[in-house]
Amino acid sequence: MKIPVEVGVVHEGERIRKEEMYVELGGPKVKSKGELVRVRKPSEVKDGKVEVEGPDLDKLKEGGRYPFAIFVEVAGKKVEEDLEAVIERRIHDYCNYMEGFMHLNQRYDIWCRLSKKSYEKGFNTLKYLGQALVTLFKAELPIVEKIQVTFITDEKKVEAFVNNARKIYEARDARARALSEEEVDTFYGCVLCQGFAPTHFCVITPDRISLCGSINWFDGRAAARVDPKGPNFAIPKGELIDKVNGEYSGVNKVVKERSLGETERFYLHSMFNFPHTSCGCFESIAFYIPEVDGIGVAHRDYVGETVLGVPFSTLATQTGGGKQIEGFLGMAIEYMRSPKFLQADGGWNRIVWLPKSVKERVVDDIPAELRDKIATEADATDIAALKEFLKERGHPVVERWREVEAVEAVEVPELEAMPVGAPGGIKIILQNAKIHAEKVIIKKIK
Amino acid sequence: MGKVIAVSGKGGAGKTLLAALLVRKLVKTGHKSILAIDADPDSNLPDALGVPVESTIGDIREELSVKQSRLPPGYSKDAWLESRAFEIMAEAPSFDVLVMGRPEGPGCYCSVNHMLRKITDSMMGDYDYIIIDAEAGLEHLSRRTTQNVDDMIVVTNGSLYAFNTAERIKNLAKELRIGFKRLYLVVNRVDPSHEKLILKRVESTGLEFAGAIPEDASVAEYNLLGKSLLELPDDSPAVKAVDEIMEKLSVQGGK
Repeated sequence: MKIPVEVGVVHEGERIRKEEMYVELGGPKVKSKGELVRVRKPSEVKDGKVEVEGPDLDKLKEGGRYPFAIFVEVAGKKVEEDLEAVIERRIHDYCNYMEGFMHLNQRYDIWCRLSKKSYEKGFNTLKYLGQALVTLFKAELPIVEKIQVTFITDEKKVEAFVNNARKIYEARDARARALSEEEVDTFYGCVLCQGFAPTHFCVITPDRISLCGSINWFDGRAAARVDPKGPNFAIPKGELIDKVNGEYSGVNKVVKERSLGETERFYLHSMFNFPHTSCGCFESIAFYIPEVDGIGVAHRDYVGETVLGVPFSTLATQTGGGKQIEGFLGMAIEYMRSPKFLQADGGWNRIVWLPKSVKERVVDDIPAELRDKIATEADATDIAALKEFLKERGHPVVERWREVEAVEAVEVPELEAMPVGAPGGIKIILQNAKIHAEKVIIKKIK
Repeated sequence: MGKVIAVSGKGGAGKTLLAALLVRKLVKTGHKSILAIDADPDSNLPDALGVPVESTIGDIREELSVKQSRLPPGYSKDAWLESRAFEIMAEAPSFDVLVMGRPEGPGCYCSVNHMLRKITDSMMGDYDYIIIDAEAGLEHLSRRTTQNVDDMIVVTNGSLYAFNTAERIKNLAKELRIGFKRLYLVVNRVDPSHEKLILKRVESTGLEFAGAIPEDASVAEYNLLGKSLLELPDDSPAVKAVDEIMEKLSVQGGK
C-alpha cells in the first residue's frame, strides 16, 4: 500500500486550520479520545498489523468531529514497561510527520486534524497513518522489533479504551512519584532565570522540584532530551558525599561552573551551611527564626506580615539574587511534599509557622502529629505569641530550647577599644556577635 | 517564517485601526495565510476584526501556573500549552487571531514564557503574513516581543508627544540592537490644515514616511456600532490610505 502523502520531518509543526480541515479526531470539543503504548510479549504482537475499529476516514462526514484513540503495541528484547511513556510521546512526533495530519497534546487530551488537501490526495483510510507509524517506530527506535497499531473511532469502544488507559497512566504516575534521588544517576539543571540572577541555577532531582514549582525532574529530562544545550541540562549526580544534607560531587562540580565561581557547593536538603541559591522568582521562602530555633515559611501570595514582622517582599530581597544565604531558602511549595524536605534541618519537625493558605494546600503531607502544632497567622503574628503557641502545643522545637539556653548563658565580652585614627581613639563594639555581627558601631570616645 | 509587520506607537494613536486595515487589505488581495496577533494587554484588535476571542495567551499562562503542581508527572506541559494555544486561536475564514492578553502576575513565568516563546515562534512560522498590534509605548522592545519583525510601523497622531514616542522607539531599537528590516512612520487623523507642519515634523524623525490616514467618520461609526472594520467600504478614506501604505510595504498579491 503506497502512502499517498509525504511523510517527513518537514511536516512537523504543521497546523491545520478549520478552513483547511477535512475531519477532526479528538480535540477539546470531543469527549472521548486517547492514546496509549503498551509493551507486549513478542508472541502477542503481529508485526505490521494495522486495524481500524469503527468507521474509517472515508465513512466520516466532512467537517465533523469524532472520538478517536490510537493504540500502539510493541515488543522487543530491550523494550521494558518503563519505556512505554517515552515511546508513547513519539506517537505525537510521527503523526505530525504526515503531510496534512496534525497531532496535538497527549494521553486523554489528543487532538488531531486531517486536511482536505491530503484527503483529496487519497489519504482516506487510517491504515496509511498506521503504516507510517509502524515504519517510523521501527526505523527510529530499533529496540522496537515488533509493532501493531489499532485506531478506534467507535464512540463506545473509545470510551472503554480511555477508561482502561487512565488506569495505566495512573499506575505510571504513581511509579514516577515514588522515584527518589537514590534511584537515578542524573539530575537536571535549569538556568531559565539567569537573566535575573546570573549566578543562580536550579538543581532539579526527583526529590526537589525547581524553586518556581514549574519544572520537575521529568520535565527537566524531557527538555534536556530535546535540546541538551538548552536551559535545561543533565547533571550526572556523581558520588553521594553527604546523604542527610543531600550533597553530591556531580552537583558541586556543576555549581562551580554555572554559578560563575560564586558558589562552591550545594546542600540540596538544608538551609544552613551551603544552601541552594535562590533566583528571584521562587514560590515561597523558608526562613530561620533564631528566637525559637525553628523555620517559618511564607509564599508569594501572602500579603500580610510574617511572624518576623516583615512581609514576603522584604524576605525576598534577602533571599534572591543567586547568593548563598544561610537561613533563607527560596523553594517551591511542592518541595514541602518531598520526603527529603529540609531533612538535614529536621524537616517538618522544625517548621513552626506557615500562612494558613499554604498549610491548607499541604496539610496532607504534614505528619499528622504536627498538624496542630504549626502556627499560622491566625495563631501568631509575632515572636512572643509564636513562642507561647509552640510551648502550649508542645512543638518538637521546644525541646531544642533547653540546649540553646545553655549556650546563651555564656556571656560574650565586649571587645576592648583600640586606638585607631582620630584623637582620643574610637571604640569598636561588636554587638550580638554570636554568629554574625548584626551591627558594627564605630564611635568617638567622649 | 512569513513577513512580519508590527504596528506600534502611543496608546490611542491608531495602532489597532492600522493593524485591522492591514489585515483587511491582505484578505481583500486574496491571502489566506494570515495571523493577526494582538499584543496589547488592552486588546481591541479582535473587535476591530469582528472576531470574538474567548481566551488569551495570558489566560493560559495563568492557568498553567495554577495547575502545574497538580499535573501528573508524566504529563508534558509543553504539549498541553501548545494545544491550548491552538485552541484559543480564533479562526476566521482567511485569517487567525491570537491575543496575548493580560500582563503577568507576581509569580515566576521564566519557564512558561520560555515554552510559550517556542510555541508562538513555531506558530508564526506557519503563516505567510503576521500582523502584530504591539502594546502601547516601548515595553515590547525591551521585552523583545517584537524582535523578529520585518516592518515596524510607528503610528502617531498629529501631536508632538506622539512624535517623541516614535523617535524613542527608533532610538531604543537601535540601543537594544533590535534590527527591523524597515522602520516606517504613519501619521493618523491628519487635519488637512496641519499637513505641512506635520510633514516637516515627520522629516525630523528620520523615519521612513509610509503615509497618512485621514480622519474618517465611517471608522468612528463602525466602531460605535461594534461593526468589523473589515466591512468598511473600499472607498472609505482610511481604507484607501492604508491600501496605499500597504503598497509601500511591498506586499505582493495573494496566491
